[in-house]
Amino acid sequence: MSVINFEFRNEVLKHNASLSYCYQCSTCSGGCPVALLTNGKYNPRKIIEEAILGLKDKLVEKQEPNSWLCSTCQKCVELCPQKVELTEIFTLIKNLCFEKSKVPDGFIAQGQAVLENGVAIPYSKAILTRREKLGLPTIKTAPVDEIKKILIETNFEKHLPKESA
Amino acid sequence: MSFDLFLGCVIPARLPYLETSSRKVFEKLGIKLNDVDGFSCCPDPTGIEQLDHKTWLALGARNLSLCNTNNGVVSFCSGCVETLKGVNYAINKDSHTKEEVNQVLKKVGKSYGGKVEVKHFAELLYEYLDKVKAYVEKPLDGFKVAVHYGCHYLRPSEIINWDDPFEPKTIDEIVRALGAESLDYQMKMECCGNPVEKTDKDLSLLMIDQKLNAIQKAGANCVVVVCPACYQQYEFNQRELNKRNESTYEFPIFYLSELVALAFGFKPEELGFNFHRIKPSKLFESIKFTP
Repeated sequence: MSVINFEFRNEVLKHNASLSYCYQCSTCSGGCPVALLTNGKYNPRKIIEEAILGLKDKLVEKQEPNSWLCSTCQKCVELCPQKVELTEIFTLIKNLCFEKSKVPDGFIAQGQAVLENGVAIPYSKAILTRREKLGLPTIKTAPVDEIKKILIETNFEKHLPKESA
Repeated sequence: MSFDLFLGCVIPARLPYLETSSRKVFEKLGIKLNDVDGFSCCPDPTGIEQLDHKTWLALGARNLSLCNTNNGVVSFCSGCVETLKGVNYAINKDSHTKEEVNQVLKKVGKSYGGKVEVKHFAELLYEYLDKVKAYVEKPLDGFKVAVHYGCHYLRPSEIINWDDPFEPKTIDEIVRALGAESLDYQMKMECCGNPVEKTDKDLSLLMIDQKLNAIQKAGANCVVVVCPACYQQYEFNQRELNKRNESTYEFPIFYLSELVALAFGFKPEELGFNFHRIKPSKLFESIKFTP
């Protein structure tokens, strides 16, 4: 039994009013490479439908369908006859999942790396040697403290799971 | 002509040989790329943005605030380009967003007005296509190339504002200008599957398997990409797929800059081709191409 959450629906609409243009034609799902391969498990039209209905528990708690399966290929956005900005709406849903720590580990690891290093992949010693061999310059990446300050300001740091911090 | 260079994370810290060929090509073309200290992760539009949109905007705007070459900034990575173009788009579309982002940047003594022009390196190569053609010393005869555009090089078209989102032509034209053949294949416009790897590895493999299968059927002998995520997806998964299934994939994967560099007469040794997992040397032998 799903609970309609009007507040959630309004939050999505406030973030992206294009949600209300959807007339459920399913063009998005027809063009989606992930929908094609998951036999209905992932379905962009259904995510939009559940957002219109305000089914936050389905989208954020149960993740049915799982928005983290979106490949961000942006085909649905191009194809939509109503100009619904689907991937932006999926991003908002995933951002809400992040606030509830309902995120696949790989994403958290990337967030952690950026918090600790300022970049997603820090330069290892082996890579620095390889760069030198290839005649590539040494380039300074962002000061870690400065990036951390930004991530605290945007609450990003707060939402990263603490056990891996 | 000079531009600031935004390297991002994956190419310089994991695939530096792709940076080598890119730098050599632009040097040869007389385009100066300025290195800038202090960039962070772009951040990844398929990763960090999915965790927190505001953080993505703020870090992206901070990176752009460090650019100061009049012609703008160039990146070798489609993900970085999508982020930097996307941040510009969001900031210029909505003054409230611009204000919000700048409030965050103020904490670290920075600000960004939204005016730095962002270009993908292939975009720049296409603009210099006549010059590229003129510098071809070793036409790529016998190269039957499957061009993989990838998603973020093209879409969302309103933000990327470049080639056609479903019927692009720029990379095919560059490849042909080098003397190679660009083959049409089914699923040419599909995603490589790299972004879903963090959620479902098997699904990600299935997506790349379908593409490789179509590329094999079309009779291509190599693949060209313009994004390091796509590069890794193709280069690192062929053997994994051959182990899991009964496939026989062995396509060398070239970065567009590598193909251009080869045609310009650079040698595989100077381009770091030995770092490729699937060595291009086999292909060169089979088509009697002597770099």
